[in-house]
Formats: sequence, structure tokens, C-alpha cells
Amino acid sequence: MATTVIAEQSPHRRPLMQRFARGSEPYLYSAPALILIVTVMLVPLVVGISYAFRDVQILNPFSGGFIGLDHFRALAEDRAFLGALRNTVWWTGASVLLQFVFGLILALLLDKPFTGRGIAQALVFLPWAVPTFLTGLNWAWLFNPVIGPLPHWLHALGILSEPNNILSDPALAMWGPIIANVWWGIPFFAITLLAALQAIPRDLYEAASIDGAGPVQRFLSITLPFLAPTIAITILLRTVWISNFADLIVVMTKGGPADRTQIVASYIFTQAFTRLDFGYASAIAMVLLVLLLVYSMLIVVLRQTLLNKD
Amino acid sequence: MASIDIRDIHKSYGKIEVLHGVDLAIKDGEFIVLVGPSGCGKSTLLRMIAGLEEVTGGDILIAGNRINDLAPKDRDIAMVFQSYALYPHMSVAQNMSYSLRLRKTPREKVASAVSAAASKLGLDPFLERRPKALSGGQRQRVAMGRAIVRQPKAFLFDEPLSNLDARLREQMRAEIKKLHGELGATSIYVTHDQIEAMTLADRIVAMHGGVVQQVGSPLDLYDRPANLFVAGFIGSPGMNFIEARYQPGEGSPAARLADGTLVALPHAYALEPDTPVTLGIRPEHVVIGGEGREAAVELIEPTGFGTILHLALHGLPFKVFTTDRKVLNAGNAAAVSFPPQHLHLFDREGARVAAL
Repeated sequence: MATTVIAEQSPHRRPLMQRFARGSEPYLYSAPALILIVTVMLVPLVVGISYAFRDVQILNPFSGGFIGLDHFRALAEDRAFLGALRNTVWWTGASVLLQFVFGLILALLLDKPFTGRGIAQALVFLPWAVPTFLTGLNWAWLFNPVIGPLPHWLHALGILSEPNNILSDPALAMWGPIIANVWWGIPFFAITLLAALQAIPRDLYEAASIDGAGPVQRFLSITLPFLAPTIAITILLRTVWISNFADLIVVMTKGGPADRTQIVASYIFTQAFTRLDFGYASAIAMVLLVLLLVYSMLIVVLRQTLLNKD
Repeated sequence: MASIDIRDIHKSYGKIEVLHGVDLAIKDGEFIVLVGPSGCGKSTLLRMIAGLEEVTGGDILIAGNRINDLAPKDRDIAMVFQSYALYPHMSVAQNMSYSLRLRKTPREKVASAVSAAASKLGLDPFLERRPKALSGGQRQRVAMGRAIVRQPKAFLFDEPLSNLDARLREQMRAEIKKLHGELGATSIYVTHDQIEAMTLADRIVAMHGGVVQQVGSPLDLYDRPANLFVAGFIGSPGMNFIEARYQPGEGSPAARLADGTLVALPHAYALEPDTPVTLGIRPEHVVIGGEGREAAVELIEPTGFGTILHLALHGLPFKVFTTDRKVLNAGNAAAVSFPPQHLHLFDREGARVAAL
């Protein structure tokens, strides 16, 4: 409106104003969304990355100066970080593998019709709905020999020599969060694999059974090829999520005992919010970011090749 | 190749019985078509023969052996599905050879069986392709190829042409017939399309409501339908039915229509005078023109080969098929007459009445 009013008053400036209005129109339309994205996503990212090159310690009022790559040099020699990197691989690998195997078994069981299948499906998907910190607390208590039954059962089965808390045993502690994570994450695999299973046409199985395929051959030559793209994508996605997923570890062990359950994500958390060294934490986070970016690129490439194959 | 005997087969899903005792003896090498409307139990019967559905009661014998409890793979049958059910991640050659490979057939034998089947079906150029890269007709051929490589005792077809367009269906129909002539294998073919049934079958089994209505050669069913269902189902456009009462007369038997006029019958029937009957006459047998009953033309459907006239005869819908291109328009009146030799007579229960 303002433009028209001005344009009417001074006919000579009209073309310039109009050209400006025309030219800026698309930017003005997209500005609200762009501003929102930049403030919400890019600004924190840039600030976070800038911390990695600065000495930012909450408890040190004289910190804040630019220190270049000092954090990264320290990181290369930080044995706790290297240990956390190793633990991350172990934590992620074991969690994803077990979640996938049990999720697939569950999906195959739920794919067969039986009475009460609806209720069973609802119950199976329940863990996914439990908040992760509650999951962590629950399992920490279950592993506590004072109030939880698990150590006593494991002892009775001969798996543990004494009914101790495995979360305080450096050799076994990692199994605690892994078991909690598997319990919590099975539904994800079960849901996605069940959906993929139910999309397989039934008459393929019928044709195969007439062709002479037994249950194992039907699984290998029909079920698996049909599930393969879903399996590949879900495993890759879950790997990223789980390697980033520190909730259970922070709640159950806080990285202990003796850093034996410290993964990179929980190490960042400890550095930032326990030691309050934001600069160093940001440097670790950047390394993790780069590693996950590389991994995500692999996913994208793999997805493309999978899609192109069909 | 083998004979198939179906003895008093019943099928129930819970309390609902869908097959009420089916008996059928299929000779070695015969082409049998099970035809009927959706839900008549024809596919269920086929799937029971294949072993995909359990038999609730009765026996199925292939080559004299009871196979009720055999797994599908041990029955030595092959099946062509409506959806083709091709394995999408396997090439055409792999699809066709899958059953042979499962049976650990030597590699050279598999290769020769596949190439023989492929050349018979014109699939040679496509052997390395995936089903996705094939047209509907080619997929249909692969499905047939998968069936014939094994040289099974019997072929089962479950509405194999339903997913094809009309032109292709016609072509594949002829190919299936030709293939059956070459292989001579016992075949059971399920369809709801009476043209497929008429053109393919050695014998048609017309089914309705889980009961076999009539078994016979295509022309048998066309010329002498056993009941109103078969009379109405076989033939297109369908047979006309007129309610009437039987009049034995004195040497000139006739049927009295609702308006009191008489229709001459070809012979006398063993019926009481004045028994209610249903007269049937096919649209293509009605004579138009000359002396006859007055009927109003309501609609005409030219098919090129002939014309379907929709008439109102005594206020009831009535169809006539004629190859005569005489100009008749909607709103005209037409004279129709019924040649006695083409009349069918059904009793109150719908069963055909035999001549005396």
C-alpha cells in the first residue's frame, strides 16, 4: 500500500520503487521462514562451533579467549576420549545388533495370525512409549541387588558368581545400559520390520510353497530380499541415533565405573555440565559431528544405490 | 499328467460353509473350467486342490492317490496366479528355474528346461530381465513358463487373464488353448468370464453358492442349461426369461403369458396343465420382424458385429441380438417372435424341464 501511495505522489520515482518492490518480493515472502531457521538452527551451531576454538570455562571468569586448535591437540592425547570412542563403538554395535535381531524375531512372530494378536502388538510396542530416563532409572533399580531381583536371578542361574550390581563392575557395567537400550529399542525394529513384512504379497509365499520351498527357503528367498532395503536403512539410522544417545548411560552409570561406560556423547555431557568446560566439550562434539556426517553420507549413498537397484 | 478326482468336498470357514459337497472326476489331459460369479467357491476349490486351503471334508485324489494332507510342494502341481506372483528380485530365468533349483535338478537340465519353455512362450529375449521391466502380457507368460518347466501332473489357473486388457486377454486365451493342445496336461482353470470358459474348456463346471450347477461341454451348457442359473450365466447378452403357465393343448403344447397370449412350444412336457413355468430364449434366437408380438424399442447398442436391442415386452425388459442392420431406433416398435426349437422351459424351482 505504502508503495502505491508514494508512487502516486511522485510519478518519476515510480519505476525504481516498483523495481525494488518486485525484486525484493520473493525474499520478503521467504524471510520469516529463513529468519526462523537461521536463528533457531544456524546461530546456535555457529556459536557452538566457535566455542571449540575458544577457552570457555564457566568457573573461570578470565576465560573466553581464542586459543585456536589447542582443544583438538589436547583431545588427540586424551586417553579418556579415546576410551569413550572405543566404548561408543561397542555400545552402538551391541545395542543395534541385539535390537535388530530381537526386533526381527518379534516382527516375524507378530506377522503370523493368532488369537490376541492385537493385544500382543500393543504390548510389544509399549517400551517405545516409556521416557528414556524412566527406562534408565527402572533398569538401574532392577540391577540393584538391594531392591531389584535381577542380580539374584542371574546368580541363581550361575551367570553371576555373586549377586552384585553389574553396573558397579567395570567388566560388566556396559551390559546394563545395553540391556536397557535393547529393551527400549526393540519396538522400533519390530514396528518397521512388521510393516515391511505385511507389505509382502501373500501369493508369493503360496507360489513358493507350490514351487517346493520349505519355511527356511521361503524366508531366505522371499522374506529377506523384501526386507533388505528396510533392514539396511533402519540399521543405519539407528546406528546414528544410538551412538548419540547418552540418556540411559547418564542416568544409569554416569559413565562410570572408571569411565568404563563413558561413550563420546556422555563424555561431552560430563565435560560440559559436570566440569563446566564448554570449550572442550564443543571440540569433542565437533569431532563427533564430523564422524556422524561421514557416516550419514554413507547412508545417503547406500540408499541411492538401493533405490536405483529396483 | 494325471486324472484328478474330487469326492464330496466340503469347505467351511468357522460356521460358514462355502462348499457344499462337490464331486468331480477330471480325466487325464482334460481342460476343465470352473466358472461362476464371485464368491461361488470356485477359487476355494482350486486352492484346496493346490493345497493352499485345508479340506474340511471329502477327498481329493491325483492319479488315484489321496492328497488331502500332502504339502503343496509334494502334490506335483503348478499354479498360475491372477497376480502372477512372480518373484520380483529374480530374473525371468531365475523365476522359471526356481522350482527346479529347489529340487536340486542338475544345472544342464535346468538350463534346457528353461530355454525350452522360454522359446515356447517367446520369452527368449527377456530371460535376464526382472519382472518389473516386463509388460503385463510378458509377466503372464513368465508365470506360465514357471508352471510348465516342471512338467507337473496338473496345471491350476486362478483367473490368470483378469489383469490383462481385453485385446491381450483374447490373445493369451488362444495361446493357453494352443499350449494345452501341445502339452496335453490336465488343467483346471478358474474364471468368472463365461467367454473364457466357453472357448477354453473341454468341460465347464458351472458353480453357484458353493454347489456345482452343471458339468458339461461348452455347447451342452449353452444348448441345454440345466437350470435358470446356468441359462442366465452362460451367453452374452444373457438369456431372456418370461413367466408363463404350461398349456398341454391338443397336440399343440403352448405356454400362456401373463397377458393371456400363447407361445407355441416345440414338444409336450410332463407337466400338469396350468403349471407355472419360466420360458427362456436367448437374445440371438429371437426373430425380429414379420408376424409377432409388439415390443417397444427402448435402447439400441450397436457392437459392430451386430446390435443389441433393449425392448419392453409386455412392460418387461427383454433383449434381442441381431446381425441385421435394419434401422430400428429407440422409440420404434418392433415385432418379435420366438422360434419354438429355441425355447427353454424351467420349472418353478428353476430346473430344466425335459421334453416328454
